[in-house]
Amino acid sequence: MKRKFPWFSYLVVIIGGISMIVPFLDMVFTSFKNQKELNSLKFSLLPEHYHFDHFITAFQELNMGRLFTNSILATLGVTVLVLLTSTLAGYALTKIRFKGQQTLFKFILATMMFPAFLFLIPNFYITVHFPLVGGNDLFGEGGNGGLATSVLALILPFSVSGFGIFLMRQFVMTIPDAVIEAARIDGASEFRVFWQLVIPMTLPAMATLAIFTFIGQWNELIWGLLIFTVNNNLATLPVGIQMLQSALDPDLTKALVSAAITISVIPVMILFIILQKYYVKGMQMSGVKE
Amino acid sequence: MGYELNKQIAPQVKQGRKKMITQQGVMGYIFMLPSLVFYFIFLLIPLVFSLFLSFTEWGGFDFSLIKWVGFKNYKDFFFGGHGFLYPVLTNTLIFAFGSVLVSFFIALVISYMITRLRLEGFWRTLYFLPMVTNVVAVGNVWDFMYDPTNGLINSFLNTLGLPTVKFMDNPHIALYSVIIVAVWSGIGSAILILSAGLKNIPDSYYEAATIDGAGSFRLFWNVTVPLLKPSILFVLITGFIGGLQSFNLILVMTGDGGPGNSTNVLGLEMYNQAFKYGQWGMASAMAFILFVIVLIITLIQLRVFRSGGVENY
Repeated sequence: MKRKFPWFSYLVVIIGGISMIVPFLDMVFTSFKNQKELNSLKFSLLPEHYHFDHFITAFQELNMGRLFTNSILATLGVTVLVLLTSTLAGYALTKIRFKGQQTLFKFILATMMFPAFLFLIPNFYITVHFPLVGGNDLFGEGGNGGLATSVLALILPFSVSGFGIFLMRQFVMTIPDAVIEAARIDGASEFRVFWQLVIPMTLPAMATLAIFTFIGQWNELIWGLLIFTVNNNLATLPVGIQMLQSALDPDLTKALVSAAITISVIPVMILFIILQKYYVKGMQMSGVKE
Repeated sequence: MGYELNKQIAPQVKQGRKKMITQQGVMGYIFMLPSLVFYFIFLLIPLVFSLFLSFTEWGGFDFSLIKWVGFKNYKDFFFGGHGFLYPVLTNTLIFAFGSVLVSFFIALVISYMITRLRLEGFWRTLYFLPMVTNVVAVGNVWDFMYDPTNGLINSFLNTLGLPTVKFMDNPHIALYSVIIVAVWSGIGSAILILSAGLKNIPDSYYEAATIDGAGSFRLFWNVTVPLLKPSILFVLITGFIGGLQSFNLILVMTGDGGPGNSTNVLGLEMYNQAFKYGQWGMASAMAFILFVIVLIITLIQLRVFRSGGVENY
């Protein structure tokens, strides 16, 4: 079918596209502006001169190195654990027959209906009063923060994902039973079947789950803010920047915050642009945004 | 001959398989163990604990000070005159409805157009970028752009000869200003789902309708929309449920749901009740009230999906 050049569509999509990109440009350019420009009553998108000092100040004043380390440790920890637990469960739910399997699967599906905010309050208490860690006694008393004394507080409450289990189950299901039966008859233990057969065959699905979990966790804010109130050393990037707002001289804040934000956003964007294909797949399967 | 042989070894195979299954059964639980331990500690215990708390008054520290108050928190929520119903609950509904409807309409138009353009992948990525940006970045950048003295948007309005708008300071406008940001940052996922749905509609349908003399509007209304129904429902309902729960954008942009209570939503109020005012009982009751609202909508969603003939639901 021959079509006219869709100039109207181009016009709308380009105008929309500009409004998608302008906030990012404003963010980047603001971080290069100096004090005089920021205080000026006249707005201009581009800075007169490019000043790099805000990026340096951000790294020093904000302790960005520390924030980065925390964010990376927490995000990698969660991603690795989610991959491990989801794949193990996905395999058990499809390729091993055991009593109560269907009930368990229904239970896991049901957990996905419970929204995260429902667990915010009790999990905060449980984390801080976790028994036998961070100086706590058997009843979770007497310590100075329980799990929140270490980065584990940012990892463990996210280490299993109902969505992750669901995704891996759907994928492991497509591996033919005959392949696994053959390995078992050859005398391979369940663990060997899992490591040497199932893991390599599920790598594409694991990539989807990994990138999806990574980006979601990198941007996590609310739980991080709560843990921060117990232990200031555990601030992640979003938490550190959020706290910076109130802590600094208001005149300085705008450029500094923009610089810090730019630093926090760029790595994920690069990751997303490279690994889009996998991320999008996860997105389409979950369809839900926080 | 082959048949005879099979018959002879069949009982042995059967026995061997039975043994295998019981051995496997134990392994099944071992493989499930990490997930089950997690669900026990971070899901089941919290759920019971939280439900219990919702019937108490407690500051969150000393267990000996916990006080059983029955349904008082729930009664207070509805009849206590704390403004939880209005404006907090109404704000929650306006925020959820508003952001999902606006982003749906824009996303529908954009994805309909995008599928007809070159560089489709590029456009989709562009519209998707805010989805991978953390909410602190999104909220702050928009706060800067909304700035009445030298923010980007007001400068633009002034250039057009329009008056300055106090986006975040005017209590009648603030909630809608936040909705615009929610639309901007969430539109990517709607475009993703809708354009995937659009791709599944065969070209021949459009061609047939064109031959029958349908114009582009009728093409859109009578061919695209009915066939896209599953994706449309999916976007609307999941978006609505997400919108009901979300408060991190409002937390970042306004701090406390201000000015006044004008941008306060249920999630944020729950967060503040617990961690700012130390009312863990009330906060837990609010969490359950919001959960029931979300649950009802989820059940309606399932019903609608099934009757709409959407697979896998």
